Amino acid sequence: MKHIDILIIDDEKKFAVMLAKRIELRGCSCEICYDGKTALDWIEKHANSVTLILLDLQLPDIYGTRVLSMIKIINPAIPIIILTGHGTEKDRQQCDKLGAYMFIHKPLSIDKLMTILEQIKGTHEC
Amino acid sequence: MLTKILNSMKSILPAFHRHNVHLKSFYTFTNYWNLWTSSIFILALTALFPLCIVTFIHYQLIQKSVDSELTLRTERLTSNAKNSIAFFMEERLDALRFTVNEMEYKQLSNDKMLAEILKNLKLGFGGLTDLSVIGMDGNQIASAGPYNLEGKNYKTQPWFLESLKKTNFISEVFTGYRDIPHIIIAVRSVAPNGSFFILRATLDTERLIQKISSYKTGDHADIFLVNYKGVLQTASTRHGKIFTKTDLTFPDNSGKSEVITATDLKTRMIISCHSSIFTNFTATPFILVVQKEKAGMIQTWLELRQNINWTVGISIVLIIFIITLASTSMVNKLYMLDETKAQAMLQMEQNQQLASIGQLAAGVAHEINNPLAVINQTAGYIKDLYSFKNEPLNSTEIIEEIDSILDAVDRCGTITQQLLGFVRQFDVKIKKINLHKMVTEVLNFHKKEAEYKGVNVAVSIPDNIPDMETDSGKFQQILVNLINNAFQAVEEGGCLDITGYQNNTKTIELVIKDTGCGIPEESLKKIYEPFFSTKKDQNGTGLGLSITYGLVKKLGGSISVQSTEGVGTCFTITMPVKIQEEESI
Repeated sequence: MKHIDILIIDDEKKFAVMLAKRIELRGCSCEICYDGKTALDWIEKHANSVTLILLDLQLPDIYGTRVLSMIKIINPAIPIIILTGHGTEKDRQQCDKLGAYMFIHKPLSIDKLMTILEQIKGTHEC
Repeated sequence: MLTKILNSMKSILPAFHRHNVHLKSFYTFTNYWNLWTSSIFILALTALFPLCIVTFIHYQLIQKSVDSELTLRTERLTSNAKNSIAFFMEERLDALRFTVNEMEYKQLSNDKMLAEILKNLKLGFGGLTDLSVIGMDGNQIASAGPYNLEGKNYKTQPWFLESLKKTNFISEVFTGYRDIPHIIIAVRSVAPNGSFFILRATLDTERLIQKISSYKTGDHADIFLVNYKGVLQTASTRHGKIFTKTDLTFPDNSGKSEVITATDLKTRMIISCHSSIFTNFTATPFILVVQKEKAGMIQTWLELRQNINWTVGISIVLIIFIITLASTSMVNKLYMLDETKAQAMLQMEQNQQLASIGQLAAGVAHEINNPLAVINQTAGYIKDLYSFKNEPLNSTEIIEEIDSILDAVDRCGTITQQLLGFVRQFDVKIKKINLHKMVTEVLNFHKKEAEYKGVNVAVSIPDNIPDMETDSGKFQQILVNLINNAFQAVEEGGCLDITGYQNNTKTIELVIKDTGCGIPEESLKKIYEPFFSTKKDQNGTGLGLSITYGLVKKLGGSISVQSTEGVGTCFTITMPVKIQEEESI
């Protein structure tokens, strides 16, 4: 099965598409899900072939924190970065508790994302 | 010195006349003057009522005891005087009876003998002026004394006719032939020839008057004799000379002393006591009357009463003064506390306004952050195209991306315009607002939240609803607070119904109904209290509904709530179509 570097879960289509294109330009593979349910379905199928997940909190069907906890059930090893336009302190605490890798506010710097990806890949290789 | 007095005056005068108008709606008590006066009135009533009652009872008791003492004294005096006068009469009547029984008719009908007897009687008893023996036909048989009454016939004299009927007789005072007031004492006996004869003595009234006068104590007492017809038998200080007809009436002649309290012409209270005079052998035509002026007798009590009156009066003034002072200080303290509270409430209302703007700002930030992220990534992508791809760029693709950036900028612009329009409302005072438009504006800030939570928002406000003329800033805050609350309460997939309709020509009703967690019944009563919150764990301040309530009242409206735990909550606000000027303060 093809290994995917980053899974983007965000309902803001334009944002997700642009981000995906930029990631691909940098030589990494990328997949987009626009809602929680599709994302969970995808992860169930590709549980061991994704390096990093970018997860928005405000999703049209399931709230981000629930998606987070469900991904953790499927595969607790995948690092998940919460990427939100407006996350409250409460959300941040809850995400930390649920084992999110990072909590980042939009807008996101692509370079930072790539650095993080490199780091994760590095630790995995070790 | 003057400032000191003025300062002390301030502590008496209430401070609440400087009522702050802009704090009016926050005061717990609206009418401090009322509070002050009723406090003084109630305290004064509580303190003075028992004092007045006790004083009144005390007066009554003293009055009663003084009255009974006066009555007793008058009665005793009357009784003593009566006994003394009765004895005086009886003594002389006894002497005559003795004379008639001991002497023979022959001796009595002898002038010389009779003069001898008179001399002895005068020596023994005194008070007798003359003595005479009168036959049944009224002719004088013998006489002794200073007046020459020889040959007189008494056949027609009333006393003579009376004395013929009785064994012993005492007459009223009369002047008779000699023209000097005198009393006749007569004893009837039988002559050797079988016919009646009468032994008559004339009593000197001077002795009687002296005897009566000896019982007179002080100027305010009047003591005199009257007959049963009310004609004076001795002179009276109150009623006048002897033989004056008085208006005194005597219902019985039982001989008992009877006390009557009456008011005379000069409206002075007098105590009157009278008693009929009886001797052992016969009744007399005399009634002894003792009259005393009450005022004269109770002078000491009156003086004491005046002192008591003064003391009570001064006490009342003092008590009222102290009560006024205490009430003023109490109500002033209450007012100060109320004012502090009102100021705190005003401050809190302003803070809450800021907080609700803060809440909005968070929503706005979220709304803006998303298009910003799009701009960020799209611009980044265009830049990437230049730096990563070496082939010539496809201008169509670039224009497409730039368009999407412009779209995102437009989105941001719309949001900032909305926010500006919203904030502008806070500056304006009274203006015309469209209910539907304002509800939509507020809901705009919750659009994303509604989307994410899957809240089904339904707004039903008829288009023909009239524009409301009200303080738009305040009304907007009411809507923000209620709609925020509803969104916080509602769970994922819940419903929020906002219905507006015109109640009548004067009021518009707005119903905000959610299918949220509801409010427990025991909390329902307290939801408008400041600092009461069911969301303490969610950073609830407990001010939202309290301030909303205050705002609704300020705009001349009313608010009510129905809630069932687990089912939902429904807030209904009724607002006037046109706000009254004084309510807009």
